[in-house]
Amino acid sequence: MKNRISKIIHILPVLFLLTVLAVSAVAAQDNGAKTEVIVAVGSEPSNGFDPTVGWGHGNTPLIQSTLVEYTQDMRIVNDLATDYEIGADGLTWTFTLRDDAFFTDGEPVKASDVVFTFQTAKDSQSSLDLTWLATCEATGDHEITFTLNAPTSTFINTIASVGIVPEHGYDGDYANHPIGSGPWKFVQWNKGEQVILEANEDYYGAVPTIKKAVIVFMDEDAAFAAAQAGLVDVALTSATQATREIPGMHLEVISTQDNRGFTLPVTPAEGKVTESGYPVGNDVTSHLAIRQALAYVIDREQIALDAVNGFAEPAFSENDGMPWNNPEVQIETDLELSRQILADDGWMDSDGDGILEKDGIKAEFTCLYPSGDSVRQALALAAAAQVKAIGIRINVEGTSWDDISKRMFSNAVLMGWGSSNPYSSYLLYHSNNALRDDYYNPEGFADPAVDGYLDAALHALSVDEANEQWQLAQWDGTNGTAMKGSAPWVWLVNLSHLYYVRDGLDIGDQQLHAHGASWTLLQNLRDWKWN
Amino acid sequence: MDSPIVIDRPRRGVNRRLQTMITCIVLLMVAAGILLSGEWIPSDAVTPDFSRKGLSPSLEYPFGTDWLGRDMLLRTLKGLALSLKVGTIASMVSAVLATLIGAAAATGSKWLDAAINWLIDLVMGIPHLVLLILISFACGRGLTGLVIGIAVTHWTSLARLVRAEVLQIRSQPYIMVSRRLGHSTGWILLRHILPHILPQFVVGLVLMFPHAILHEASLSFLGYGLPPDEPAIGIILSESMRYLTGGMWWLAFFPGLALVLLVLLFDRLGENLRMLLDPASAHE
Repeated sequence: MKNRISKIIHILPVLFLLTVLAVSAVAAQDNGAKTEVIVAVGSEPSNGFDPTVGWGHGNTPLIQSTLVEYTQDMRIVNDLATDYEIGADGLTWTFTLRDDAFFTDGEPVKASDVVFTFQTAKDSQSSLDLTWLATCEATGDHEITFTLNAPTSTFINTIASVGIVPEHGYDGDYANHPIGSGPWKFVQWNKGEQVILEANEDYYGAVPTIKKAVIVFMDEDAAFAAAQAGLVDVALTSATQATREIPGMHLEVISTQDNRGFTLPVTPAEGKVTESGYPVGNDVTSHLAIRQALAYVIDREQIALDAVNGFAEPAFSENDGMPWNNPEVQIETDLELSRQILADDGWMDSDGDGILEKDGIKAEFTCLYPSGDSVRQALALAAAAQVKAIGIRINVEGTSWDDISKRMFSNAVLMGWGSSNPYSSYLLYHSNNALRDDYYNPEGFADPAVDGYLDAALHALSVDEANEQWQLAQWDGTNGTAMKGSAPWVWLVNLSHLYYVRDGLDIGDQQLHAHGASWTLLQNLRDWKWN
Repeated sequence: MDSPIVIDRPRRGVNRRLQTMITCIVLLMVAAGILLSGEWIPSDAVTPDFSRKGLSPSLEYPFGTDWLGRDMLLRTLKGLALSLKVGTIASMVSAVLATLIGAAAATGSKWLDAAINWLIDLVMGIPHLVLLILISFACGRGLTGLVIGIAVTHWTSLARLVRAEVLQIRSQPYIMVSRRLGHSTGWILLRHILPHILPQFVVGLVLMFPHAILHEASLSFLGYGLPPDEPAIGIILSESMRYLTGGMWWLAFFPGLALVLLVLLFDRLGENLRMLLDPASAHE
C-alpha cells in the first residue's frame, strides 16, 4: 500500500530526526529542571493549522484561542469571550470579547478578527458546518453579534471549535505560519517530521509551565522504538503493543467515546437505490428482532478482552459519558433474552445447520470493515464468534473504504464515531440525513418521533433543554435510537486511547477523548507539567 | 540458472537420469501435497478462536497462532496452496501466450516481427511490479486481476527464446524440403516446429512459476492483490508487520520460510526438467 511504500521512503528522515532529537534531549537535560516535552503522535494535520478550514475542530486549536471552550467534564465556559447572551428568539447571539487578549505578533484581538474568522470559515465550505449562520457582524470594538437562520442549540459547540485568526496576519500561507492568541506560539513545522510550539508568555490565561513542546509524527512502531531509546516523553501506542513495558515510562489509558459498532440496514432489500445509485436494504438486519438479539447477546467486556487486550470499555450509544447522553441506553448482556426475542419473532433452526431461518431466509449477513484496520477486524470477528451462539452468522469481509461507501446501505459495517458536538447525533439519526454518501446514516434509519426530538434538541433555546431532547431521542420510555429501541446501530466498545508517558510527566486531567487518538491528547497541553 | 555440467560416474543401479527423474517426481508430489492439503483444510479450521491467541510455536501449534487465535500452520498451508493455484494458472497462461507470440514473430511477416519485438521491449522496459500494480488495480484487484497481471508481464523472455528457436528451426534443411513438398506454413509450424519447442515451453513454464508466486505475494503484501480475508502468504506477511515489534516473530518467520522453500522447490524442479529435456544433458 501507499502507506507502506512511503514508510520505507521515510526511514531516512526519521533516523535523521531521531539523531536530532537525541542531541536536543541531551542538551535539554543539561539545563536542570525540564521545561520541554517531546510527544510522538501518529498523524499530521494535512491541511495545516488554519481553523477556518478544519484545524482544531473537535479538539483545541492550541495556537489559536476560541470564544468559548470545553472544561474537562465537557461543560462550556468562556475563553476569549467574557460573556454571551442569546436573544429571546434564539436567533441572535451576542458575544463580548475580553480586552486583554493579544495575538503573538502583539496586535490586540478585536471583534473584526472574530467576524473575519467566521466569514472566512463560512466561505471556505470546509468540514465546519456553518449553514445555520446567517450573518456575523461587529457591533462594537469588543462585541460580536451572530444572527442565525433558525434557533440552533449546537451553535455554541461550533463556536467552541473555531480558533480566531487575525485579519491582519491572514494570507494564503496562513496554514503554514499560523499566528494566534492561544496558549501556544507556533515556531516551526517540518512537514512529515515535527511541529515545534513554544509557550506564549503573553497569554491572557495561565501561561503553560512547559516552555517548549515538540510534536513529532511517527507511526506506532517508530514511536515505540523512540520511547524505548528515551528520545520522546510521550508515545502513542496501540492495544497490541501496550502490553509491553518500557523502563522509565508508564502507560496512560484514557477513556474515550471513540466508539465502534455495527451499522445495520433497517429496511428490507426491495430493489431501491440511493441517490448515487447504490442498493439499499438487507433482508436479515431489517428485522428488529435480529438487531435487538445481536444487541443483547454481545458480551462487550469479553470483546474488549478478545480483540484489544482489554483496552476498551463497553459502548451503548454514540456519546457515552457526555452530558447529552441518556443513561437509560445501557443494557445487560442476556443470552436467554436474545434467544427469546428471536423465537418470539418466529426464527428457528429448521434444517439443523446451527443457523436460524424465518420464511426461508437464513439469519446470515455480511459485515464490512476497512481492510487496513486490524482493530475493526478483530472486533468484528470477536462479535461474529459470540453471535454464533444464538444462531446468527456474520460473514466478516475486509475491503476498501471506496467499496464500503457503495455497499454500506445494504450490508452491516463496523463503523466508528465519537464527537464533542451533539449535532453528530442529529446527523446519525435524522431522516433527512438518511442514505447519504457521508457515512452517517447508511442504515436508512428514519423515525418521525425521533425526528421530532432531534429537531426540538437542535432548535432548543438552552443547553439544558437541548440535552433533555437529545436524551429523549435515544430513549423516551418506549422507543428511540438506543439498542433497546429501534437499534439501527449495535454498539460494541469505546476504544481506550493508549500512550506511554515518561515517569514524572503529568498530563493533567484528560477529558473524554473523541474519535482519533493523536491531537485529542494535546487538548490540555497547557496543564501538563514535570514533577 | 545454468549449472556447470559435471560428468560423474553413474552410481550402481541408479544412473543420473533416473536420479533426476526421481527428484522431479518427489518435488511434484510435494507440490501436489501442498495443493491438496490446502484444499482439504476446512475454512472453519482457520476461523478465530480468541481463547488461544498469540501462542508461540509449540507441539500443538508448530507455527504458533496469531492475534486472533488462528492456527498459523493451517493458514500457511492454505496460503501456499493459494499461491500454487495462482502460480499455475498465471504461468500457464503466460507460457502459452509466450509460445504463440514467439512463434508468430518468427513465422509471420517482417512488420509483425518488428511489432512484436517492439512490444517485448516495451513490456520489459517497464518494471514488473509497476505494471502489475496497474493491471491488477484496473481489473478490480482480486484473483482475476492478479492472474491477468502476472500473465501479461511474464511472457516476454520466454517469447524471445521461442522466437529465436523457431527462427533456427525454420532454416533447417528438412523444413525447406517440407516446404518444397507443398506444405503450408501452418502445417509446418504445427507438425515440425512446435514439437521442437516443447522442451523450451515446459522448462520456461516451470521456471516462470517461482516468479509468478513471488509476484503474487509481493502484490498482495502491498495491498493490490488478493483481498485481506484470503489466507495468502502476501497477506499473512503484510499483517504480521504490525505484530513483529510486539515480539510475535513466528507470524512472519514460518510463512516467509515456507514461501522461500516453495520457490526453491520449483527452481530445482525446473533445473531437473531442463537436464532431462536438454539434449546436452538428456543422456547422462
